[in-house]
Amino acid sequence: MSDVAAHADPLEELKKTNTGVEHKKMAMWAFLASDCMFFGTLISTHLIYRKIYPTVVDPTDIFSIELTGFSSFILLMSSFLMALTVSSAHKKNIKSMRWFLFGTIVFGLIFLGGQVYEFSHFVHHKDLTLSSSVFGSTFYVLTGTHGVHVALGVLWLASWLIFSFTKKFDWVHSLDIETAGLYWHFVDIVWIVIFTAVYLVEYL
Amino acid sequence: MKWIAYIWIGILLALTAISVPQCLNSGGETALFNATGQQSTLDPQGPLALNQAKIFYVTLWVTLFLFVTVGGALAFAIWKFRMRKGDDPNFVPPQSHGHPLVEMGLVVGSAALLVVIAIPTFGGILLKERPPVMEGEEVLEVNVTGYQWWWGFEYPEYGFHTANELVFPAGKVVKLNLKANDVIHSFWLPKLAGKTDLMPGQENKMWIQADEPGYFWGQCAEYCGDSHAYMLFRAKALSEDEFAAWLEDQQTATVVDASIGDYTPVSTEGMDEALALTGAELFIENCARCHSVDSRVQTMGPNLAHFGSRTSIAAGWLENESENLVHWILHPDKVKPGNFMWEGFPDPNNPLGPPQMEGLMDANLTEAQAEAIAAYLYTLK
Amino acid sequence: MSTEQVTYGTWKRPLKKTGLVGFLTTVDHKKIGIAYAIGALFFLLVGGVEALIIRLQLMAPENDLISAQTYNQMFTMHGTTMVFLAVMPLSAAFFNFIMPLQVGARDVAFPRLNALGLWCFLAGGIIVNLSWFFQAAPAIGWFGYAPLTARQFDPDIGTDFWIIGLQILGIASLAGSFNFITTILNMRAPGLSMMRLPVFTWMTLVTSFLIILAFPPITIALAELMFDRHFGTHFFDVPGGGKPILWQHLFWIFGHPEVYILILPAMGIISEVLPVFSRKPLFGYPLVVFSGAVIGFLGFAVWSHHMFTTGLGIVATSAFAFLTMLISIPTGVKIFNWIGTLWGGQIRFTTPMLFALGFIWMFMLGGFTGIMHSSPPVDAQQQDSYFVIAHFHYVLIGGSIFALLCGIYYWFPKVTGKLMNDNLGKVFFYTIFIGFNLAFFPMHILGMSGMPRRTHTYKAEMGWNDANFWSTIGALILGLGIAAVVLQVIYSCFKGKPSGENPWDARTLEWETSSPPKEYNFGFTPVINARDQVWENKYGHAEKKMGKIAPGSHGIHMPDQSWWPLVVSIGLFIAGMGVIFHGQPMERLLPFLGESDISLFHMLVPGLFVTLFGIYMWALEGPGGYHLYPDPEELVGAVEPEEGSHGGH
Repeated sequence: MSDVAAHADPLEELKKTNTGVEHKKMAMWAFLASDCMFFGTLISTHLIYRKIYPTVVDPTDIFSIELTGFSSFILLMSSFLMALTVSSAHKKNIKSMRWFLFGTIVFGLIFLGGQVYEFSHFVHHKDLTLSSSVFGSTFYVLTGTHGVHVALGVLWLASWLIFSFTKKFDWVHSLDIETAGLYWHFVDIVWIVIFTAVYLVEYL
Repeated sequence: MKWIAYIWIGILLALTAISVPQCLNSGGETALFNATGQQSTLDPQGPLALNQAKIFYVTLWVTLFLFVTVGGALAFAIWKFRMRKGDDPNFVPPQSHGHPLVEMGLVVGSAALLVVIAIPTFGGILLKERPPVMEGEEVLEVNVTGYQWWWGFEYPEYGFHTANELVFPAGKVVKLNLKANDVIHSFWLPKLAGKTDLMPGQENKMWIQADEPGYFWGQCAEYCGDSHAYMLFRAKALSEDEFAAWLEDQQTATVVDASIGDYTPVSTEGMDEALALTGAELFIENCARCHSVDSRVQTMGPNLAHFGSRTSIAAGWLENESENLVHWILHPDKVKPGNFMWEGFPDPNNPLGPPQMEGLMDANLTEAQAEAIAAYLYTLK
Repeated sequence: MSTEQVTYGTWKRPLKKTGLVGFLTTVDHKKIGIAYAIGALFFLLVGGVEALIIRLQLMAPENDLISAQTYNQMFTMHGTTMVFLAVMPLSAAFFNFIMPLQVGARDVAFPRLNALGLWCFLAGGIIVNLSWFFQAAPAIGWFGYAPLTARQFDPDIGTDFWIIGLQILGIASLAGSFNFITTILNMRAPGLSMMRLPVFTWMTLVTSFLIILAFPPITIALAELMFDRHFGTHFFDVPGGGKPILWQHLFWIFGHPEVYILILPAMGIISEVLPVFSRKPLFGYPLVVFSGAVIGFLGFAVWSHHMFTTGLGIVATSAFAFLTMLISIPTGVKIFNWIGTLWGGQIRFTTPMLFALGFIWMFMLGGFTGIMHSSPPVDAQQQDSYFVIAHFHYVLIGGSIFALLCGIYYWFPKVTGKLMNDNLGKVFFYTIFIGFNLAFFPMHILGMSGMPRRTHTYKAEMGWNDANFWSTIGALILGLGIAAVVLQVIYSCFKGKPSGENPWDARTLEWETSSPPKEYNFGFTPVINARDQVWENKYGHAEKKMGKIAPGSHGIHMPDQSWWPLVVSIGLFIAGMGVIFHGQPMERLLPFLGESDISLFHMLVPGLFVTLFGIYMWALEGPGGYHLYPDPEELVGAVEPEEGSHGGH
């Protein structure tokens, strides 16, 4: 549809769809709907087994809620920074966009670091492994899947950060950054659910 | 060229015409729909199967009614509004887009028909879960365990096990507790009740009742691996006296004392004693690690304590005749492929490694030896 | 027609449109659709041969044509092949080819993602079928019930082939669905509101939503199973505390919507063909669309009716039974509306119409037997018996396959610009129709007389012999008919008579463009003023006729071809093989590689690296594109874009 009026704002041109939502964003929304089902399945697997075998392990002995609480907070803050990134991209302020993007990535990395530490601590000091119990299986596969989402998100955002220093960067790419932001927010929201359903619920 | 097509379609129609009476009368001389076959669901012999068959007929009549009305309308429309010879090919029929009243009427009508099915359905669900037993009435319970590819039946009140043949009193509710030892199986005794699955790690319950004494065929109905097709069983409903006698029989030992390894048969009446004793030796050597001949003890294989009184072998696949038994002992792999009796029990932690318990594959039994084992087994009545 | 190459980015992109390079790098939705169809028809024949071997084994009691193990592999692969490699991709072929034409788009929203879907479909199909060549075809049933799939009961790699194959096929389906959803919601021609969409496009949309919501549960279930088999987790492992019933829930939360993924496109095709050959609009269009959506929605709420015999308890059993009965209402609505469409029309018995009418009859019968086992007491007898096999083959062959064959006969002129011989088609239809009924009707009787499913043999005295014999005869006739149709398709591609733009006097937008359509689909942008636009163009009032907007001075923007979708799927293929052969000796893969075990670093990591590399190159090359200028005569009557969007003729 780019055959009409090349001088108009290219970002506005992309919005000229039947729904007013750009293709990329629409596809991202569809993907996120699908991703909801992915996490929904994993979380329900975890909750089902938690109910059936409550005595196999006592998770509160294993979890350190302070550390996870801290990294959850960091992840939430990264969402805030991501929102600022998208906002500065819309304002075409490249400098602040890069800094906010950098902050998002760093916060994402801190979260991942926390998760890596948590996993290795659980494995080496708490004897919780993939195969030690059903709790271990569901816990690692669920939080691990989320971790992979965060890692891919970090990789994606880092790629945009690097790309923003090349000559090929153009403000039409702010749509892509916004799309990546949608993904990032979703991953954070999912973490809130996981944090509640996996960690907090054990302290009730 | 056109006549070739007509001949071909004619052949197909002729084949169909030949097939219809054959399929309808399949098996029986006079029985339409093979309704009296061993596993027919349309020949119910107990209250639960009768209830299920009745609901089936309700659904059948409702759908037949729909078939006649909806199908009739469809056939009529196709006939009436077909393009006839000489019709104007460019004719444009009135472009009507539908009528909401007609459509809503049909929706409401079909919903009403569903209620006709839903009511007996709910009754059927309740009946399956809640057997018609008076309070305080004594009910026989049998623990059914599914193994890859045979059935274990335990009578917990009497403390004995048997295999592949379920015996119970006619005219009374029998409660079954279903468990699986390895994978999922499904207990299906079509003339008495629809199936219920045997799930590992979960106990399911069902009940059966036979109106009259009788002999019934059943089969595993959930795919459970290589020899799923051979996982059959038989069920015998006995009169009250016969059942009491059978109970007593099952609780008497058929060997001197299996718990100290003395497998000598208690009685060899009317049999070749020497052969049976050779058989006992061979049995200890080759079979006893998996097969118990003490009805109070259940090991990995089917319990053989009262083997001689059973009507079938190899989980209901073969009739219990000595010729079949010898063949079964010599070539378990040919009768039931993938069978542990031949290859031995795999180690669950290393299924591709050496077997935990060896099978007959390495035993190299001769025909004479198999006959001796058979002779021994037939002393266990 | 002239082209003007505009280069975006600095990477050199494949430009050749023909030959091998043109095929491997194509992003054209029409070529991708054709490739899907070729793959699907091939796998349909493979699955069909497997079915015939099954039937030949069951032709006589205690037959020993194939062993029990081979038989179990056959029915597993038959089910998997037919569901994932034949019916779904054949539907996807129509989605790809027809849907963009029906909405008046030049291509789908993400042409390269579309190509990725195609290559992942092929990679997954190859992986699943490679298992035959390693003597390790899975023998677990297409439903793969735990714990039969655990290492303990199934130590070989067959189940791994199955898991990985389905995962990659899942990627294909998901990628395609995101694309179709975006295309249908965002890229409709001006004036083409949702309630003017052709029903086939509507059903594409509903099916796509079903796919994106139903595939995640099976993906997770398969991943959990893979972890159980390779890394010692306990999701479905009973001694470790797992519950096999969880697999059944996850599988059927996917599996039941999957049934509608297979049938809704079929209903869409039928809803296109019946109006064309009765020369009347679809009766009750809004209700047909609405009931399709309701079927899709309710499809997520009935999964446990596959599990009535697993001991769910009174409440769950009753709830799922009544919800299942409810779903027959929207299904019935469709049948009523199809009859209403025929009513008062002028019915032409062309081959596609015969398949469509055959569909209604057969689907109706399949629906009736479905109503029967929506009642748990009846299901207790019918579950896992041949009655169920009869039921779902009436729905899947009499339903889906009939409709897909109908679609092939109906759209073949549009796809190739050639006609298929109608008389030959009719003979093949009757062959298929008679063969199908001969093969599957006796199975109702077999099921009611107690023959269980998935058994490779049965005893002679059970009274199942004649019905099984005739069923096999019917299956052979059916197989002959299907093979004949495939041959006719191939023959007509080369020797068919030219068809012209609109040989059927059809109604929807795809018939407005040339046959086969040019690579840009429409030289002009169509402006839609009616639901059955092409019909209205010919017979309708002036205000309902279509407007045309010329492309303007910049021409038509076309996407560039790309290598990277292929590279990404090759990476996934390698990574998948790495998981399958994880822990196996190398010589199992290739005889000369020695005995050391394959670790995850041999193939999985390199494969994922190739995938990641492909994705980066994909992102960096950008969508690209060039401009095309259609012939002036295609633009007769078109207005220039500046003159407003609703220019009439």
